[in-house]
Amino acid sequence: MGYGAYTFVVVMAVAVMASAVYALYWAVKTGQFRQFEKGATEIFTAEEPEGQPTDFFPQKRKKPTA
Amino acid sequence: MSSADPSFVASLKPGTPEATAERALLSEIDVSTRRPVFFFLCAALVWLLVGTGFALIASIKLHNPAFLGQAEWLTFGNVRTAHLNSVVYGWATNAAFAVALWIMARLSRTQVRHLGILDVAGFFWNLGVAIGIVGILRGDSTSIEWLEFPAYATPLLFVAYALIGIWAIIAFRFRQPGHVYVSQWYLLAALFWFPWLYSIAQLMLVFAPVRGAVQPLVNWWFAHNVLGLWFTPIGLAAIYYFLPKVLGKPIHSYYLSALGFWSLALFYNWAGVHHLIGGPIPAWVLSAGIVASLLMIIPVVTTGINHHLTMFGSFGRLKDSPTLRFMVFGGMSYTLVSLIGSAMAVRSFNEIAHFTHFTVAHAHHGLYAFFTMVMFGSIYYMMPRLTGREWPSAPLISAHFWFCAVGITIYVVGLKIGGLIQGWEMVATTTSEAGEVALRVPLFLDIVKHTLPYLVSRSLAGMMITIGHLAFAVHFVWMLLQPRAVAGAQPVRLSPDAALPASRA
Repeated sequence: MGYGAYTFVVVMAVAVMASAVYALYWAVKTGQFRQFEKGATEIFTAEEPEGQPTDFFPQKRKKPTA
Repeated sequence: MSSADPSFVASLKPGTPEATAERALLSEIDVSTRRPVFFFLCAALVWLLVGTGFALIASIKLHNPAFLGQAEWLTFGNVRTAHLNSVVYGWATNAAFAVALWIMARLSRTQVRHLGILDVAGFFWNLGVAIGIVGILRGDSTSIEWLEFPAYATPLLFVAYALIGIWAIIAFRFRQPGHVYVSQWYLLAALFWFPWLYSIAQLMLVFAPVRGAVQPLVNWWFAHNVLGLWFTPIGLAAIYYFLPKVLGKPIHSYYLSALGFWSLALFYNWAGVHHLIGGPIPAWVLSAGIVASLLMIIPVVTTGINHHLTMFGSFGRLKDSPTLRFMVFGGMSYTLVSLIGSAMAVRSFNEIAHFTHFTVAHAHHGLYAFFTMVMFGSIYYMMPRLTGREWPSAPLISAHFWFCAVGITIYVVGLKIGGLIQGWEMVATTTSEAGEVALRVPLFLDIVKHTLPYLVSRSLAGMMITIGHLAFAVHFVWMLLQPRAVAGAQPVRLSPDAALPASRA
């Protein structure tokens, strides 16, 4: 069997593991693990703010208070 | 409108400055992703119906072998394989692409670029799957589980996938700087892991094949990681995004979600060997896989606690929100199927349950009750925002949900019971007074007959699921036939004061 193919496989495995370690390092360095509360609210915007449900059955959407 | 769309080459070059990405409105981002995401959703739906059809045929053949017996291209070996590949690479992966791209676009918080790459990728992916399915029905299956597509189809899949990966890298690179939400971690990880898994598996099993016991090791490393490092992260990314979005309240413990992600990344890769417990594999390899399978309890329980505490106090909203129903069903199924999976890896239980129908039920528990239901919920949320139309019929949504939820429950419970009976009877022995050990059920055919009721219940469950899918398909098409922004109705995605965004091609 091609030792070339297996070399590629081992190199890729090491590269993937190394990138996972790098990703964790990057996350720590860019502060992804600080301010957990703020991180959780990142998905809310002015258009779809926190506190406003955004999914309803059709024809059952409650009129939001103006 | 953002600054002028740079060329593709400029986006790839490391020197291109990333600054001045303007923050875009969610509605603008949704509309901009419309064409590729919509294409992936349509393709997914077509493959769902095709795969469901193959599933019914395969299920019926197991208790009624003469069914369609005159068509040699529909022998059980062909049709079961065609079912697996069309639901995994056709339905589930197309849906995964659509949901992943849509969430990635939103979490990048700016106009996305180079959507044309996704059009090409979608075309090549589905062409590859179609050629592969036809190849399987022609008898060209490679007979390697989860990699049955013949070698003439798979390079197309790889090209398509490479394009999607490149798009994801560009989208992440040119995102609004700031926090990377947990869903984006899961999505990027999944998009990164899958090509590695697929190319290594193709290399070591098809193009430069290994031999002997290493073959199943590679095979099940690949197949299990498709579940754990491709579908699970995408399903979890969807729940972590849609659950708080639908409720309007943030994830209960964001710290737990980070813990869940990194522990999944650490442990899941090792667990695939549990598919080979009882086989001719060195014991230490199996033990490593069993330990990893049990360590998976950590991310699973972490995620389950997080989802449950987020939902706590809001279960009443299940009657208001279609997406929430599917997400909660899927999330609870995830926790249950993963814990059962960890239990299945323990050698003493494995001795009974392995190589029986129990495994098939478990696979459907994970890929249908968890992943597929989460995808359905995601699609119900995305489509109004992509198309500017509302779903026309609440009863059809309920029909879809209930037929599929009840159907998969009957499927999984029935087939697990059948699998346990099958497994137990295959190993159960009696010891006479003289000390002779004999099998309780010596005739294999008797064991097969005892599982028949559960194979029939599976077909009935499959018919319920098929009805649910047809309801979904009919509803999907009906929605598209609606005129845009039906007069008097408010589009779900906008606040009442905002104007409809100008549509973009």
